[in-house]
Amino acid sequence: MAPALFLTMSRKKIGEFLYRHRWLEGVLYVIPFVSLWAVFLAWPVGYGIYISLFDWNPIHGSKFVGLANYAELFHEPRFWNAFGNTFKFAAMTIPLIIGFGFIFALMVWGWGRSRRGTTAVQAVLFFPYLLTVSIVAIVWKWLLDRDFGLVQHTLSSIVPSAPVFLTSTAWALPAIAFATAWWLAGYRMVVLQAGLEEIPKELFESAAIDGAKPRHQFVHIILPLIKPSLLFALVLTIISAFRTFGQVLLMTDGGPGRSTEVLALYLYRVGFDYFQVGKAAAAGVVLLLMILFLTLLGVRLLGLKSELQ
Amino acid sequence: MKVWHIVKRVLPYIIMYGIAFLWIIPILWMADTAFKPRPEILSIPPSWIPSHFTLENIQRLFAQWPFLRWLMNSFIVALSVTFGSLIVSTLAAFSFARLHWRGRDTLFMILLVFMLLPWQVNVIPLFFTMTKFGFLNTYQGVALPMIAMPIGVFLLRQFFINIPKDLEDAARIDGCSSFGVLTRIIIPVSKPVFAAFGVYMFNFAWNEFFWSMICLRKSAMVTMPVGLKLLQGAFEIDYGLILAGAFMASLPSLLVFLLLRRQIIRGFTLAGSGSKG
Repeated sequence: MAPALFLTMSRKKIGEFLYRHRWLEGVLYVIPFVSLWAVFLAWPVGYGIYISLFDWNPIHGSKFVGLANYAELFHEPRFWNAFGNTFKFAAMTIPLIIGFGFIFALMVWGWGRSRRGTTAVQAVLFFPYLLTVSIVAIVWKWLLDRDFGLVQHTLSSIVPSAPVFLTSTAWALPAIAFATAWWLAGYRMVVLQAGLEEIPKELFESAAIDGAKPRHQFVHIILPLIKPSLLFALVLTIISAFRTFGQVLLMTDGGPGRSTEVLALYLYRVGFDYFQVGKAAAAGVVLLLMILFLTLLGVRLLGLKSELQ
Repeated sequence: MKVWHIVKRVLPYIIMYGIAFLWIIPILWMADTAFKPRPEILSIPPSWIPSHFTLENIQRLFAQWPFLRWLMNSFIVALSVTFGSLIVSTLAAFSFARLHWRGRDTLFMILLVFMLLPWQVNVIPLFFTMTKFGFLNTYQGVALPMIAMPIGVFLLRQFFINIPKDLEDAARIDGCSSFGVLTRIIIPVSKPVFAAFGVYMFNFAWNEFFWSMICLRKSAMVTMPVGLKLLQGAFEIDYGLILAGAFMASLPSLLVFLLLRRQIIRGFTLAGSGSKG
């Protein structure tokens, strides 16, 4: 009704009208965003929970089954395998991403000021982040090809007992975790580097005058002051690790066996290959709750609430 | 003593360039493979420099697959997401930062909780929502869920809040409406944050894979990341063709990055650390 009302007013009048109805004005500005957000981001969360309570069949009609999908999920070894793989993958890739990112940040920041070519080094380390997951997966699958892969061949000729990574149930997941670190570490590097640059230089100068060795400066100046940036990078990395999908689908397709099937891939298989939509939705709800829990933990850790003031 | 001095000076360079070299090998190897003839791709040990430089892989890619169409699809989706997102996020962030209304902080708090939830996890309900709208296999279907990202509102709001209130007050006294305040005061001084957020969103939409793969199922409609997956779908793995595709798909990012390296890195730094305050 409100828009129709505006049509009858002059521009000046609209301004006056909105000034008198400030609540309406504030709401008008957020409507485009909030409606898109509500339909395509918030609503699917609720809809997903709804679907997960049904034996979903859009053609022949759905049947309400309560929590049966969840019960089925929790009794299925394949689900727990995917659950375990997700945690294993996260436990491997998160330290790799943060570790590489932090080391690179320290390197570019600490050695950068007095040396040539640091920007080129930074650019090279950052660039993989701009590539899409398909490119990353294709390139690493090729590098690790059992017969003709450059990395596989080089490692096998240095260490004759080296595993064939992508066809080994024990080594495929670590290999994907490493490829993921190659992809994402550069972004963590620039974020952490910005954190390092915010540390006042005087701190290092006065520490040096007091005779503090670089090791002590690292423990007593850098670590405490970089902690917020580090925690923030950690929260982002946890979330991206838990929703990992593309790398696994394209590099191993969950194999060999089901040794690299993570939750997102399991959900996709169940929903779009076996058409057990209700069960897949239930898996989605479980994954979402896990991520929500970890996020809230992170928010608590970061104290993001203080941002609201 | 003197030797130690030289080592100490040179060592950081060796480590830094060494790491950078190791890190770029996958990219070099991808480019290398794309221009090698088939027998040379499948040689043991792998050969570094192609003895017969060939464009055959790339020709085959263009002959057998609608590669340019994929590129165009990606551009359309990424540009719509970027501009759509900039517009709706700016309007909302302005309201959250500068206008006062009941329920504002509650709504913002709700968005904040959703900020870090990965929406891709919701592919199943999203798929059925889009089926109802009839948006599967369309640009709007793939783009619409990517536009309203709470992180954008958060980032822009953070920036808008720090713009001095005096400017706004002066404009208000001169009879400026709040839309005037937005277009004449807030937007002109916020160019750096728009650039940063725009770069972030473009990259995000350009590279999005999970939802795009589910929403787009016709070969002519898919975006580049999904198209590359189709290349892999053949019975026999044709590494020459696949790597040529990966190489060609990474060229736009590489060219833009070479031209705008500093702005892009600054953008990501701002988007990545700005949202923590």
